[in-house]
Amino acid sequence: MGLGFTVGVIGVLILGHAAYSTIQYRSLLKITEEEFSGPPMEVVLELLVGLLFCMWAALTVPGKFLSVHPHSDENRVVSLPENVDFMIFNHRGRAFSSEVGLKLKH
Amino acid sequence: MAVGHGDSSSSDKKSTDALTDLQTFNAENLQSNMKVIYYSRTFLSIIGGVIAGILGFKGLIGFVFYFLVMAVTSAALTAKAKFSIHSYFDTWNRVLLDGFFGGLMSFVLFWTYPSRF
Repeated sequence: MGLGFTVGVIGVLILGHAAYSTIQYRSLLKITEEEFSGPPMEVVLELLVGLLFCMWAALTVPGKFLSVHPHSDENRVVSLPENVDFMIFNHRGRAFSSEVGLKLKH
Repeated sequence: MAVGHGDSSSSDKKSTDALTDLQTFNAENLQSNMKVIYYSRTFLSIIGGVIAGILGFKGLIGFVFYFLVMAVTSAALTAKAKFSIHSYFDTWNRVLLDGFFGGLMSFVLFWTYPSRF
């Protein structure tokens, strides 16, 4: 999380630097009265690098995907509460057949 | 009335019968996954808008650039879900189309903003 955030900030800073360079380039073109066809090649490379950094940050920072499947291992519903003092087991649930394969979620 | 193995689920599930397992999913995790997609798409639309503004795109080519960025984002999100969409979402449309038009608004905003320079 921290690393992804740092990479994102670096990407945004690179984009800001590219924007500043383009603004300077444009004002130079205004002085020489030429048409702005596109930023110089270094700025394009900088934009590409900044885009890659921001893409990587956008995919890692928001968080992981959690499984939606209800029967997967990380979506366990069976869990014991922390206070076992008040739990009784001597009830009518004995009449139901128990599944031996139940695992506890911590 | 027999209740059976009453599972006290903290996450509300939408379920039909046990045979159509695709209908049953953990809605809380699905919402969390949708938020992840939304954040990723919004951030990348803003970045795409800034880049389109810097490169000086005008007119249709800007929208083409936005579609390109969104296509790459969809591919990257699919890769993040390890290509098994059904274990993280219920339909394909969510991964591909959700947040598309909201991102378009942000893109246009940041695309036209640098043009005052």
